[in-house]
Amino acid sequence: MLSRIADSLFWLARYIERAEDTARILDVTFHTLLEQAQQPYGLRWDPILSMAGEAALFRQLYGEPNAHNVFEFLAFNPNNPSSIMQCVTKARENARTIRDRISREMWEDLNGLYFTLGNFNPKEETAAGPHRFCGRVIFGSHRFHGVTDATLPHDEGWEFLRIGSALERAEMTARLVDMQYRSFIEPASSVGPPDNHQWMAVLKSVGAYEAYHRQYHSPIEPARVAEMLILHAQHPRSIRFSMTETQAALRAISNTGPGSYANEAERLTGKALERLRYDRIDDILRGGLHSYLSDLIHNFNGIGEAIARAYFHYEVVA
Amino acid sequence: MATAPICLSGHGLFDGYAAGPFYDEMFASEGRARSHYARVFGRFSNMAAAQFGERRKLADLSFLLQGITFTVYNDGRGTERLFPFDLVPRILPHSEWAHIERGLTQRVVALNLFLRDLYGGQLILKDRKIPASLVYSCRHFRREMIGLEVPQGIYTHICGIDLVRDSATGEFFVLEDNVRTPSGVSYVLENRLVMTRTFPEAFQEHEVLPVNNYPSELSRILRTLSPRAEGEAQIVLLTPGIHNSAYFEHSFLAQQMGIELVEGRDLVVDGVVVYMKTINGLKRVDVIYRRVDDDFLDSLCFRSDSALGVPGLMGAYRAGNVALANTPGTGVADDKAIYAYVPTLIRYYLNEDPILRTVETYLCDRRDHLSHVLAHLPELVVKSVGESGGYGMLMGPSADRSQIELFRERILAEPRNYIAQPIVPLSQVPSYDAASERMAGRHVDLRPYCLFDGQKVTIVPGGLTRVALQPGSLVVNSSQGGGSKDTWVLRGEC
Repeated sequence: MLSRIADSLFWLARYIERAEDTARILDVTFHTLLEQAQQPYGLRWDPILSMAGEAALFRQLYGEPNAHNVFEFLAFNPNNPSSIMQCVTKARENARTIRDRISREMWEDLNGLYFTLGNFNPKEETAAGPHRFCGRVIFGSHRFHGVTDATLPHDEGWEFLRIGSALERAEMTARLVDMQYRSFIEPASSVGPPDNHQWMAVLKSVGAYEAYHRQYHSPIEPARVAEMLILHAQHPRSIRFSMTETQAALRAISNTGPGSYANEAERLTGKALERLRYDRIDDILRGGLHSYLSDLIHNFNGIGEAIARAYFHYEVVA
Repeated sequence: MATAPICLSGHGLFDGYAAGPFYDEMFASEGRARSHYARVFGRFSNMAAAQFGERRKLADLSFLLQGITFTVYNDGRGTERLFPFDLVPRILPHSEWAHIERGLTQRVVALNLFLRDLYGGQLILKDRKIPASLVYSCRHFRREMIGLEVPQGIYTHICGIDLVRDSATGEFFVLEDNVRTPSGVSYVLENRLVMTRTFPEAFQEHEVLPVNNYPSELSRILRTLSPRAEGEAQIVLLTPGIHNSAYFEHSFLAQQMGIELVEGRDLVVDGVVVYMKTINGLKRVDVIYRRVDDDFLDSLCFRSDSALGVPGLMGAYRAGNVALANTPGTGVADDKAIYAYVPTLIRYYLNEDPILRTVETYLCDRRDHLSHVLAHLPELVVKSVGESGGYGMLMGPSADRSQIELFRERILAEPRNYIAQPIVPLSQVPSYDAASERMAGRHVDLRPYCLFDGQKVTIVPGGLTRVALQPGSLVVNSSQGGGSKDTWVLRGEC
């Protein structure tokens, strides 16, 4: 497989995942805030903007955040490189450069999603609220994965798609937990008794609300939520699960068995996975959740770079 | 003879249809469809506008979803557009096609012999059948190719030859040859697919020759060029990239043939061997179907500012380690001034009379022709010899004074760069006019695609019918607002 094609597959999947995750967080945050109208918006919209990594750009474009302009910014704004529309556009661009290598069904599905989302009118949608739009994005992402699994040979190319999704998801989940934990710890003392609405929102945004209750049979506790999203072995949106996926895909590509590694990406993945398998949530919290998650995110970036070095880039030798 | 004026009524979508002074491919006379068009006319004229509109929507959606678009450059940033598709097929009875096929075969063989001679012994120049100065001044003549043995001795494996019909007799003429990197064949295949989906019943009523073996035939020819004696040949299609107007076609053909679609940056030359960069290291490449122009192929050999090609590629080619299709330097054969000499080439190399006629052509660097051209600019088409795609043209009758004066200056400054031809009033085929929601006559040309393996010329039955969708327009290029039609070659006469 050409290196450029592997590179495009990897990014195609990353952008789709980023669009879906942004849609999930946006949708759930919006509706949680609706139920808590007495709270000043700024308090709650800030974290999601900094999570998207574009808080400064937002301030520059809009000033004070509110439900409408945050939605507009995260969903449609072409100047926001991680807006949902920009992610879908970039996913489609990547697909277009490799359309001879993906299935016709995948291309037509993604191309259709691009046109469908493009037909949403930002003005009307911001007035109506994000549910319809975000629902379409999430469904679009699910469908893309379904079509991919059903029509693309599960060869190296498929593995690169899998890595792109898993790595992006791991990072987004880490950022989500980090953001919630910080915004919860910090203003909690001034706001009074901690409410668990926001943690409920986090669970819902990753589709883990029902699973949480089945697992813990207890009220929502931040530590349990963090445990579920970071360390759960089976939940498909937990960090550990995503890293297990990444490891399996990397090993499939290099044909490496368990207990060893073929390149730096595999070594870093294995290292992260060891911690995620054997660490306990209480220890993590005691040591500081923020630094733990920051470490993980740093590690994910390292994995991304190592994959690029191993498979995508060729050194120029004079 | 021009057909009598035709104006239809009582035929649904065809009400008010006027054939005008042009050769109409569907109607021979007032309200009488030619026999090979009778069933299509019957079916379409019995269709309600709303029903037809629905089918059109279906077809458009299908093109949109598949992303079958091309890029236009004149708006400064390159915009993706749908290539408009007209649902009324262009139909050719078998005898007409057989004649075209013979004529094209003859032409392709002669053009290849010409190129082989030109880059070899140059007998034709020594025999003074064609002025050497004309050849050496061709922009696409490549000195680098002189004396080089090319694989199988073939220069142009893939040609697209544009044909038009005389408005009085309906006779087919060659308008121009495209022997560098002709595009459009993907539309032939996609148009057919969409047509069979949209109008299965109309399709079933005819015996239409299939077109879908083009990719496998092309793939077979590319395989024969491989310099590698044993093992599976590694074949790639080299594209300038996603921003090229024909990118859809590049990826379509690569997919259909099951070969890698590569960009220049995916390839590297090491020790006069071409490799592609894969996730498992460098892999040797044997044959390149290149859709990058000569100028940009190799910055060490041709234009040094090119980032689209592969530095060192020509060295590997010269060493016989990689094959290229088409061969560099073929552009000399589709230079619009050389075009005027193709009948001479056919007689010289094949000792035959040309089967297909060419359009009368004035070469501006011949003094006698030049004075005629300058005196008749408002009646002529002036073309720049090295351009294609409808760029760099003057349509005398529709041009204003300032455009004509501009071309007069350009011609005088650089006479070798221009030729002039009388206006060819193209034939017309009924096409749907969205504004009036009726059928109207629109001008068409035909570009058949010819593949040559050194022994045999294989031509996809039909080819791409391009249609000028603007009322009265004679310019069919997609970059200038043209569309296309499915082209049916019938197994019989009707």
